[in-house]
Amino acid sequence: MMTLSFLILPLLSSVATAAPVAADLSVHAKVVYTATGERVENARVSISDGKIVAITPGVDARDGETSVLAITPGMIDLSAHATMGSRSVEETTEIRPGFRVANTLDVFSKSWERHLYSGVTTVMVHPYDNNCIGGLSVVLKTGGAENIAARTIKADAALRGALGDQPSQRNHPAFGRPTDFYSRRPTTRMGVEWEWRKAMYDALYAEGQIDSDTAILRRALSGELTIFAQAWATQDIRTICYLKEEMAREGHPNMRIIVDAAAEAWREPGLLVRTKTGVILPPYEHEGRTEDNAFFALSSAKQLVDLGVAVALSSHTAAGPGATLGSQAGFAQRGGLSFAEALAAVTTTPARMAGVENRVGTIEAGKDADLALWNGTPFELTSRVVGVVLDGKMVLDPR
Amino acid sequence: MNQQLFPTLFGALVALSLASAASAQAGDSNIVIKAGKVITNAGETIENGTIVIQNGRITAVGQGIEYPWNAEVKEYPGSVAFPGFVEAHSSRGMDRANENIDVAAFLNVKDSIDPVSFYFEDALRAGVTTINVQQGDECVVGGMGYIVKPTGMTVEEMTVRPNSGLAMSATPKRGKSRATQAQSLREVFSGLQRYLEDTVGDKRQGLDHATREALYQGREADEETAKGRSMAGSTWKVDGLELIPRWEIDEKQAPLLKIVEGNQRMFVFCDSAQAVALALEVATDNGFLHRTSLVLEGTSWKAADMIAQRGVPVILSESLMYRERDPVSGEMIETFVPKVFQDKGVRFALRGGSTASKGLWYQAALCVGYGLTRDQALAATTTTSADLIGLGDRIGSLEVGKDGNVVIFSGDPLSVKSFVEFVVIEGELVYDRSNDTRVLHLDTGAQPENTAPHDPNADFKPHGKAEVPDDDGSDTDAGENEEEHEEDEESDADDKHDDDKENEDK
Repeated sequence: MMTLSFLILPLLSSVATAAPVAADLSVHAKVVYTATGERVENARVSISDGKIVAITPGVDARDGETSVLAITPGMIDLSAHATMGSRSVEETTEIRPGFRVANTLDVFSKSWERHLYSGVTTVMVHPYDNNCIGGLSVVLKTGGAENIAARTIKADAALRGALGDQPSQRNHPAFGRPTDFYSRRPTTRMGVEWEWRKAMYDALYAEGQIDSDTAILRRALSGELTIFAQAWATQDIRTICYLKEEMAREGHPNMRIIVDAAAEAWREPGLLVRTKTGVILPPYEHEGRTEDNAFFALSSAKQLVDLGVAVALSSHTAAGPGATLGSQAGFAQRGGLSFAEALAAVTTTPARMAGVENRVGTIEAGKDADLALWNGTPFELTSRVVGVVLDGKMVLDPR
Repeated sequence: MNQQLFPTLFGALVALSLASAASAQAGDSNIVIKAGKVITNAGETIENGTIVIQNGRITAVGQGIEYPWNAEVKEYPGSVAFPGFVEAHSSRGMDRANENIDVAAFLNVKDSIDPVSFYFEDALRAGVTTINVQQGDECVVGGMGYIVKPTGMTVEEMTVRPNSGLAMSATPKRGKSRATQAQSLREVFSGLQRYLEDTVGDKRQGLDHATREALYQGREADEETAKGRSMAGSTWKVDGLELIPRWEIDEKQAPLLKIVEGNQRMFVFCDSAQAVALALEVATDNGFLHRTSLVLEGTSWKAADMIAQRGVPVILSESLMYRERDPVSGEMIETFVPKVFQDKGVRFALRGGSTASKGLWYQAALCVGYGLTRDQALAATTTTSADLIGLGDRIGSLEVGKDGNVVIFSGDPLSVKSFVEFVVIEGELVYDRSNDTRVLHLDTGAQPENTAPHDPNADFKPHGKAEVPDDDGSDTDAGENEEEHEEDEESDADDKHDDDKENEDK
C-alpha cells in the first residue's frame, strides 16, 4: 500500500506540475550546497521539465543568467503554520484520525507565499492541535498550481496528534467545573494520555467489520503511517515514547513516531535513541522558553544529532523576518551544529521523515527543481533568500 | 594675612596629594586589548590591532602600537574587538515603566531603574555597553531619561550620563482617544504659556508671594528688578520672565520651559503616520524640533518623507518588517522599515529585541540581509545611537579620547554563530562568558552548580548528553511526572504574574 502510493503519487503530481513549466532554466551560484555532502563552487544548476538535470561545476555565469552567491535545496518545514481559519478545529471528538487537513487548506491563503519566499518549498501541514488525535497531515509544495491536489506531494502523509496541555485547553467551560454531560473531555494531561491509549487499544482489539478510523489507527500501529505527535515538555515526550514501547509489547514493534515541537527532547536523548524516535525542533524564540513551560536549550539540535537522533528544524508559528526556517538553521549552528548538519536538518532529514526524499531535499539530477537562492552565506541573518525556484519555475526572481 | 593664607595653602597641599593618589590609582588601571581584528566603526578595520585604555579612556588604537610597561595586557588573537552596541531608547530595566500622571516631566527614571534587573545582565551578554533608559510610552510628557552602563549594583555606579532627555508621546495613552492625546499635548504648552504669563502678571501687580510676604511683615517690597533670565526659545516667548528668578518657577512647569527654550533633548513616541504629524506639529510650534528624535512604531514609517523634510532623526522599534494587506487586492505587502529611512536619507537608530539572542546584533544583521551595508547597519546600532542620546563624542566607536568600551566577539559581531566573550566598560572587565553561569544553562540546559535555576519554578536537572537511561522503559517515572506537574501549575501562576507585569510595562 505504502509503496504503491509512492509510485503513483509522484507520477500524478509530476503530470500536474509539468504543465506550467514550459522553458528550460539554469541558475548559477558561487557555491551550490547540494545537501548530498557536496559543496560545489562556481556551479550551474540546469533544469528541464521541472526537474534538475545537471550540476556543472567550475563554470562562469552566462550573460543574462541568474547568478547568486549561494544555492541550497528548497527547504522543507515539517511543522508549517498555514492559515485555516478559526473554524477549522474539529471540536466534536478527541480522536478523529480520518479527517484530512488537506480538505481545509486554502490555496489562495497568503501564508503560502510567506513560506515560499523565505525559501521553504515543501511543507507538511497538520490539523490544529486541539484534539488528541486530529487527523491526517499532508505534504505539499508551497506554490505552483492554484489547486491543493496538484501541489500535494504526499496525501495522508502522517497521522497527527498532540500531547500535553493543548488538547485539553479548550475543554473547560467558561465558568464552573466541567461536571456536566455537555463538557468535552479530557480536561487534564492524564486525560489526554488516556485518550491516546484508549484509541490505540480500541484499534488493537476491534473485531469484525472495522471502521475507517480504526483502519487508519491500525496503519499507524503497523508503522505504515508515521505518527507526528506534538509534545513540548519532557513528560509528554516520555508519554509518547512509552506508548510506542507499550505497543511494541502488544505485538506492534514497527510503529513510527516523530515528536513535533520537541522543545525538551535534549532531556531525554537516550529514550529517543532507544525508541528510534525522530524530532522536529521548535523555533528558537524567547531565550528557549516555549509553550507548556518547556525549556528549549540552544544546543538541543547539536546534542541530539551527536547521539544519532534524527533532527528536523521548523518555524512552527514563528513570524518576523528573523523567524524563518533558514534562520532556525542559523540558530542551530549558534548551538554548535555544523553547517552541513544544519543544512540536513532543513532538507534531507525532513524529506526522509515525511517520506518524500525521492523527490525533494537535495540538488541532484532527477530531483524536483526546488531551489533557494541566497545573497550570502545561507542561514546567516545577514543573508536572505532572494530568489526561489519551484518545480523548475523562477517564482521569486532575485533581479 | 598669614592666618588667611595658611588654610589655603593647607587646602592646596591636601588637594595635591589627593590628586597624585588618584593618578597613581589610575596608572594601575592601564589596560591593553589585543585582538585578531578590531572593528573601530571609524574608518578601516584593523587586523591584529591593539587598543590602549588609560583611566577608562582610549588613548591609542592601531597596529603594533606601543603601550605603558605596567599595562595589563589582554590578548584575544582569534577574536574580534568591537566598540559595543548602544541602545538609544529602552523602557526595560525599570520597575514599572509608566506613570499615571499625564505630564510627569518632573520625574526621573533614575528612581525606577532596577540595577539587578535581568535585562541588564542580558544586555551584557548581547554586547550592549550603553543604554538610554526612558519612561514607557504611556504618557503625554514622561519623566527624564537616564543613560547607564549595564553593570553595577546602584544607579550611581551604572551612570554614564544623567538626564538624557524627556519622553513624550504623540500616541494615545491608555484610555485616551487620539483627539484627547493631541489636545493634552498642545495643552501642555498653552498651559505653560498661561502659567508664565500669570506669574509675570502677578509679579508686576505685586500679587506674587514674595511681595505679599514683605507687605505682611511690614517691609518694603523689593524693587521690580530683573532677577532671572528672559525667556529664550525660537517660537513663542513670554515677556518679563526676567522678573522671575528661575527657582520660583513651579517644579512641574520648569522642565517644560526648558523644552520650549530648546534646552532639552526630546524623544517623542509615535505609533502611526498621524502621530508623526502631531509630533512634528507640536515640536515645530514649540521650538524643540531641532532637539527631537522620533521613536517610531507601526505605520509611522509612512510619514518618512515628512520626517526627511524636517530633518528629524528616528529610533526604530524592534519589529523591522511592516506587513499589511492591500485593502483592494488582498496582496501581502512587506516593507523593511530601516531601508525606507536609509533611502530617504533620514538618520536612524535601532532598538534591540527582547532577549540577548534578538539583541541589537540581530537587528543589525537583519538590516544587512535586507540590503543595507554593514557600515549602515553598524552605525544604526552604535554611532548614530550615541549621537541621538548626546554621547557621540564619548561612545560608539573605538577612537582616541572615547570611553574604553570594548566588546570581544568570538567572530563577526553580526554572525549568528558569534558570541560575546568579554565586555570591557570604561577599562574594566565586566563580563566574561566563561564565568557566565546562565550561559551554560541557556546553551545546554545543564544547571551549573551552586546557582539558582533560570526559572526558579522549574526544577532543571543536570543532564549530560552521554546519559542514557538503563531501564527497559517499563518504569514510567510516575513519581517524577507527578512532581513536574505540580511545578507546572506553580510556574503557570508565575507566568501569569509576569504577563501582568509586562502588560503594565507597556
